[in-house]
Amino acid sequence: MIGRWRSSIQTFSILALVVIPILNYYDFTFFQGWFQSIAFGGLWIVSPLEGLECILVSRSFYAPLLWGMLIPILLSILLGHVFCSWVCPVNTLQVWTDRLLKPWLKHRNNRFPIPRALLWYVLAAELILAVVLGKPLFVFLSPPGLVGREIMTIIFFRTVAVEGLLLLAILTANLISRRMFCRSFCPLRGVLALLGSKRRLVVTRVEGAGPGCRRCDKSCPLGLQPSIGESESIYCWNCGRCVDACNDGDLKMIWKRSSQKPQDSCLGDEKILR
Amino acid sequence: MDARKKIDRRDLLKILAGTAALAPLAGCKANILGSPVGINRLRPPGAVDEEDFTGRCIRCGRCIEVCPYRSIVPLDATDGVNAGTPLILAEKMPCYLCMECVVVCPTGALQKIELEDTRMGMAIINNETCLAQTDDTLCRTCYSVCPLRDIAIHLKEFKPQVDTSACTGCGVCVHACPIEDSNGVKPILIDPDFVPQGESS
Repeated sequence: MIGRWRSSIQTFSILALVVIPILNYYDFTFFQGWFQSIAFGGLWIVSPLEGLECILVSRSFYAPLLWGMLIPILLSILLGHVFCSWVCPVNTLQVWTDRLLKPWLKHRNNRFPIPRALLWYVLAAELILAVVLGKPLFVFLSPPGLVGREIMTIIFFRTVAVEGLLLLAILTANLISRRMFCRSFCPLRGVLALLGSKRRLVVTRVEGAGPGCRRCDKSCPLGLQPSIGESESIYCWNCGRCVDACNDGDLKMIWKRSSQKPQDSCLGDEKILR
Repeated sequence: MDARKKIDRRDLLKILAGTAALAPLAGCKANILGSPVGINRLRPPGAVDEEDFTGRCIRCGRCIEVCPYRSIVPLDATDGVNAGTPLILAEKMPCYLCMECVVVCPTGALQKIELEDTRMGMAIINNETCLAQTDDTLCRTCYSVCPLRDIAIHLKEFKPQVDTSACTGCGVCVHACPIEDSNGVKPILIDPDFVPQGESS
């Protein structure tokens, strides 16, 4: 089951955001930071969008920053924007609210449809605005970054920052329309999705699969329709929910060997992950 | 498909309009884009020019986490675009120059420098309110606590004097100074914008 792996990683990522500041509070600084920049000893990871803003606004390149951006960029190119679906604490919080309020949220999926493509315009507007103002914006408004910063602020200074209200707004929006923020408004998802447009890890339909029960379509938190192949589009974040939802095994998460179109490939060439 | 495209364009216009509406808002309220740095409000050691700092810093908080004295605090959105950036409030908790933060910054907002080269600001003694300067007492608190004693602060006829070529602006003297007027202003303060005489900015 993909879902079990995903839940474990999501829980682990939230735990890390709590444990790392506590360790630092007691002067154990081997692990550091959160999703703007996280450090495992000498291995530094920097979020691509925050790094990009830094480069655009400061008009300079700083080697540790570029090296730090490398791992998330490579991961997104190969695996798609799995950061969002498997790691991002904001998505995890939304998953947990969903689970908590399940009986009341049954018919919410398409209540307030916003065009998916808005994602690209939000990303473009964010970068343009940052350059025009000469001040980066996503660095302090980044929802996954904010989760980490708020947790650290609570542990270190017993207070919270007002911009944490953004997180509450995102969680509230999720009650109105499933993953409303992730679907159309998150600039970080925009960047990572663009990077993963030619990803190797894809959810694809087994050739010759019968007419769908469309259980997969209902399971998709982003409102995509894997039954008509939308899981292979740029918008799919490879969470694997549809694969788990499919009773007939018609959907597979596969590793494409080359950049061939998945429709043309036959399953013999591919390593089946499920 | 056509319908969807139309909505997209309309949304794009909305975003552009929203952006345009934000711009004057940012201009009219100075502290949205303005700097939080001022008297006794300092950036950590090795910080790039304040003009560039907001753009360089990605608010990862690692300098805050690594600081063993909790001297570095994060700002929030009440300081506008400087939300999340690190600041040292010298009166509350000064910098003890352990130089740990300059090593962990992933963006170069804090550059690696030596203790002696740190210039967070300049300690300035008010000769009218400092009890040692007015011959009221033989107070030498600032001199005793200075991490660069006899280099950055020395005694001249038992009166503490700051050497502007050596002071790091760490604020330990400000934190230690026991004198405070009715407004809470101390006779010694750190000015981050101090320009030494004979040098232009």
